[in-house]
Amino acid sequence: MDIAGQKSSLSWAVNISVVLLVGLWLFPTVGLLVSSFRTSDQISTSGWWKAMFPSEQNLTLRTDAPELQVQEGNLYIIEGRLFAPDKDAVISEWGVSSREIDSYTAGDTAPLKKGGEVTLQADGSYRMENTEPFTGTRGTRIFVTATTPPEFTLRNYQNVLFDPSNSEGMAKAFINTLTVTIPATIIPIVIAAFAAYALAWMEFPGRALLIAIIVGLLVVPLQLALIPLLKLHNEIGIGKGYLGAWLAHTGFGLPLAIYLLRNYMVGLPRDIIENARVDGATEFQIFTKIILPLSFPALASFAIFQFLWTWNDLLVALVFLIDSTGDTTVMTKQIVELLGTRGGNWEILATSAFVSIAVPLMVFFAMQKYLVRGLLAGSVK
Amino acid sequence: MKHILLAGAAAMALTASLAHAEQVTVFGPWLGPDQENVEAVLAAFAEASGNDVRYVGSDSFEQQILVDAEAGSAANVSVFPQPGLAADMASRGFLTPLADGTADWVRENYAAGQSWVDLGTYAGADGSDSLYGLFFKVDLKSLVWYSPENFDDAGYDIPQSMEELIALSDQIVADGGTPWCIGLGSGGATGWPATDWVEDLLLRTQTPDVYDGWVSNEISFNDPRIVAAIDEFGVFAGNDDYVAGGAGAVASTDFRDSPKGLFSSPPQCYMHRQASFIPAFFPEGTSVGEDADFFYFPAFASKDLGKPVLGAGTVWTITNDSPAAHDLMAFLETPEANEIWMARGGFLTPHKGVDTSVFGDPTLAKMNDILLNATTFRFDGSDLMPGGIGAGAFWTGMVDYAGGKSAQDVADAIQDAWDALK
Repeated sequence: MDIAGQKSSLSWAVNISVVLLVGLWLFPTVGLLVSSFRTSDQISTSGWWKAMFPSEQNLTLRTDAPELQVQEGNLYIIEGRLFAPDKDAVISEWGVSSREIDSYTAGDTAPLKKGGEVTLQADGSYRMENTEPFTGTRGTRIFVTATTPPEFTLRNYQNVLFDPSNSEGMAKAFINTLTVTIPATIIPIVIAAFAAYALAWMEFPGRALLIAIIVGLLVVPLQLALIPLLKLHNEIGIGKGYLGAWLAHTGFGLPLAIYLLRNYMVGLPRDIIENARVDGATEFQIFTKIILPLSFPALASFAIFQFLWTWNDLLVALVFLIDSTGDTTVMTKQIVELLGTRGGNWEILATSAFVSIAVPLMVFFAMQKYLVRGLLAGSVK
Repeated sequence: MKHILLAGAAAMALTASLAHAEQVTVFGPWLGPDQENVEAVLAAFAEASGNDVRYVGSDSFEQQILVDAEAGSAANVSVFPQPGLAADMASRGFLTPLADGTADWVRENYAAGQSWVDLGTYAGADGSDSLYGLFFKVDLKSLVWYSPENFDDAGYDIPQSMEELIALSDQIVADGGTPWCIGLGSGGATGWPATDWVEDLLLRTQTPDVYDGWVSNEISFNDPRIVAAIDEFGVFAGNDDYVAGGAGAVASTDFRDSPKGLFSSPPQCYMHRQASFIPAFFPEGTSVGEDADFFYFPAFASKDLGKPVLGAGTVWTITNDSPAAHDLMAFLETPEANEIWMARGGFLTPHKGVDTSVFGDPTLAKMNDILLNATTFRFDGSDLMPGGIGAGAFWTGMVDYAGGKSAQDVADAIQDAWDALK
């Protein structure tokens, strides 16, 4: 038995399962975060969990081109370092042919197929010597097995946010997304609050049936309504645009909003409302002075739901908003465009995910205390 | 809203010096760098005509165009990556026939002109045939990519016939290497790279008539000749020694990742058969022509079938009629329109009047030569089949085949799916 002030004997089980659940939730998110700081080549060659530690890799590197050779006595020499100046890597084995990539160890000298020889040190510095001039337009390939320190890049974020070819588009898309999201959150709340009050506290014939219909509407998939609704918008002259998107989001959000708010309002104490009626308050006064302030947690929790859903929405935006002028693009669409014609740019996807969740995260943390309260209050009478 | 738009358009018309300037909207499948290329072409048209031209791309073009057309809010010009879908839209009355004389122009000015006219001619809502689509931007599929330096290290030569290609594959296995990288994964479209293989091999084992009959299902999918072509694909993809990661990895490897094996150290594979667009997925800094190159996927020397080439292309159609949309189509027929994109790369054209010296890099010129030297050119069959087959049962069937099902079973299942569509 649980007695207030006394710890349950099973609290360790609760703690472990909480840790497990948090770990389960965080694991993919951390992976995504780490991936967003890696290049696409790194992502495709090794897992993100390997990114945090020095790793042994097989690399194909290239010496300087023959045009940089210098003549010393009767020898032609090319000297340099295989790695970028700021990179610390330690070479263990290496080779000069793709068939034999580990025939030499650091410090060895290997003959080159086209004549001459090359000596490679563990830090990547090399010296090529030949009695004849080196020819060709490109350097020789050297295959090394090297231990490299972890490497991260901010270039993905730079690409997504500041790349000149799309930074303008991203800023515009951010404003457009807000233009869709804010009215699409406020309109359904206003309508649903009135409706919920009427359904909860005003006596009129057919009220139960109306509630049943609204609950039934919860299960209608919005995909079913896309084409008929767009046709309607075109016929009555709304066409594709913000108004259409707001109406669509409102329509698709209303059943849940009304259901959630009505259940919450029904649970408010009957005495307060009857007292107000006796004192001569009108229905509108009861609604604005009593019901609305008391329903704040439910309103806030629905606002979070609706905000997150409209912020992340791509489908409704594609169908009702983004017309062929391309002026009304939203962030989700802008991110899809960054992926390119054939998709598959993992690093962009991971980065965009973090860019686009920034605002919803702020909203969530600002209002989270209402979320749980509103949910519980709405579902349990 | 419409009034606002109209007012906006009117204001734009007033500010533009040309009194009849119009807004032309274009909807296509290109995003990213390709989007910049197509916008460069459209900007040239905007400058020449004084119209306001807008392009919007989508990675889910096939779904989006249906929604927009059904609801009556389609762009003026839509660019279809698959003629099969365009034909479907034409039959439902969503497309406007191109101006009279376009068909004659294509016949005159495109290499293998008649085949491009046929590919763009569909039955309209009233059942009569007319030319609805103009092909602009072509992809070449019959290419094998390789690393010249790896071939050099191992002393391999470029095979001139299919027999030599198979002998080279065996040679690579004997030397302890793996000849091929094959990946079929592509999200919802997983399996499509295998359909290209089968089409290429069918063109190399049977006459073009068989190919045409197969595409229109006059020759059934489970015909022994088709099953043999699928098994021919199995010679490559079904052999554990031939494929990097083994035959079991073919279906699960993403097509965008599979070419990377050419450049790893040591090389995971030596050859990769894929269309002309694949360099976009090579590791960063790979220079095509030096680090990577391609050769023509050769035909059997023992079969007298010439040099068949498989390709694909995008077809431009008018989905919302306006005079300016027809002007845009006329602009695409000019060599300048082709040359703008040619210079920017990733663009091949059957237009005979273009100046091939403007190609952005020599490899494109080499590809265009393969295109112009082809004795037989056939369009990607899966793009011409009904969507349920070419973008459905054929894909999943090939995944099943790579997973170990027999070619006969797979072909039977695809034919059943096709029968169900009729």
